[in-house]
Amino acid sequence: MFNPIMKSLLFISAVSVLFSPMSLSANDLIKSGEAVAVAKSTLLITPPRDWNKLSLRPGKKAETWTLDGERLNDISFYSDIAPGEPLLRERSKKSDPLPKLRSNSLLTDIPELLEGTYRTYFGIAVFSLGTSKPTKFLNQPAIQFTYEYVTSDELTMRGEAIAVLQSGKLFMITFDAPKLHFFDRNLEDYRAIVASAKIV
Amino acid sequence: MWMVDDESERLTRDSRVLIRDEALNNYVRSVLCRAVGDERCGGVRIYILRVPVFNASMSPNGTMRIYSGLLLRMRNEAELASILGHEFAHFELRHSLEDFRRRRSSSDLLAWTAVLGSIAATYGSGPVQSYGDFRISVYGALARFNRDQEREADIRGFGYMAVAKYRPSAAADVWRSEMNETDATLTGRALRSKRYDGTPFFASHPTNLERADYLSALANRVPGGEYEGRSAYRAALNPWIDQFLEDQIKLNDFAGTEYLINRLGSEEWTAPLLMARAELYRLRANPRDLPNAVEFYREALSLDANLPFAYRGMGLSLMRMDHKSEAISSLSRYLELKPDAPDAEMIRSLVAPQ
Repeated sequence: MFNPIMKSLLFISAVSVLFSPMSLSANDLIKSGEAVAVAKSTLLITPPRDWNKLSLRPGKKAETWTLDGERLNDISFYSDIAPGEPLLRERSKKSDPLPKLRSNSLLTDIPELLEGTYRTYFGIAVFSLGTSKPTKFLNQPAIQFTYEYVTSDELTMRGEAIAVLQSGKLFMITFDAPKLHFFDRNLEDYRAIVASAKIV
Repeated sequence: MWMVDDESERLTRDSRVLIRDEALNNYVRSVLCRAVGDERCGGVRIYILRVPVFNASMSPNGTMRIYSGLLLRMRNEAELASILGHEFAHFELRHSLEDFRRRRSSSDLLAWTAVLGSIAATYGSGPVQSYGDFRISVYGALARFNRDQEREADIRGFGYMAVAKYRPSAAADVWRSEMNETDATLTGRALRSKRYDGTPFFASHPTNLERADYLSALANRVPGGEYEGRSAYRAALNPWIDQFLEDQIKLNDFAGTEYLINRLGSEEWTAPLLMARAELYRLRANPRDLPNAVEFYREALSLDANLPFAYRGMGLSLMRMDHKSEAISSLSRYLELKPDAPDAEMIRSLVAPQ
């Protein structure tokens, strides 16, 4: 019924569907002005503009939103991470473990936790932490820090994050975008999200 | 194939992880030239990439890629020469071309594998990439050689070493330490050691055990030189050693890294090595790790009192151990030495909480 060329074309399309689960998954619209609980937690965000929630969550207690598409302007929420837990879902607990939060972790350890996680998980060779300074987040003393890295497909990314430890548990919001154009364009959108954060 | 290889070289040349430091590049080139001879090394272009993985490769158009993880693991020039000689031997024996010809003539199955592989790689470009895939992602698929070709290259590479008067047993040392490091990583993760003496059907490289064995047997037979070039190697790597160590300790492979640092330290514990070991312990931060880290920072500082980051790490470790006053004096010293450090403001808030 099919000639060999048709057969191979069908085969290729079948295989490409198999290898691209992300394109099949549905993303949700997050409407502006409506309060939503992120990462299945008590962290409440009221976004001033519309966002897309990626249905593929990077970790059990994490969630990613974007404006223009994955990796172009990503905001990730990490909520209620307890001591002994990693930030992202480990590919293999045994052979590919990620750094974990500790019960005696300080705010100053959080940038290194993020760095270690990114380096290990995304296979990043070039990563540098930028400034870090004390600030307030969720009405508590918090840390705000910046970073820059080169992805394994050679895109230079910048990031800014804010994190707080509430009785040993970590709440963090990060913004990752290409250094070229996107980071500066959407940094204020990220900061607006941070400003709207509440714990209920 | 030549086109693909040239394109892949172009990507490598423009890569953001390429180390362009002229002195380091000249040094590595001089080692290659000493090992294989000046008339041979002329056609090789060397690219040093900042990737914390033990690997090097050479492609048919004369591109040699060396990863920073390899440079970190070598203790002396002789060990480096053994790897460079091996990769050069693949090039000289035209192993990649042989492979390509065989692939084209045998069946199209492999061609399909390549197509599917590239689909997988493209779709995997998101969050599912780790160091294992690094080389296929950007720098093109590098040739894998079969067992006989690897053995040929080992033996020819060994010949270069002997002629160039390098200490011949260095080649066996490299493979033995590679096995130990992998073992350490696996034991550290409570996994079973891979059996180096086993020969799985699909294994492309000779097992490292077999390799270490025949290389050391050769080393006993052939009268080679005694040249190790330890101080020359250390001097050449000096501007980069801190960076390479940092890239390694942040990989979250405690046991493997601990083995590696101990191997490098077995000859002499330098301040950068002690510093790296301290950071490794501090980052893992198991209950007993923090006091150990403090001890290593102290040892590093006794060798070189001008290490601001040792004061930082020591202070942060002490703070986590609840030794507040000691922690504050150590962090204050860090701020004195590095008042403009990017994290100065944050550290200051620890020293003088509001």
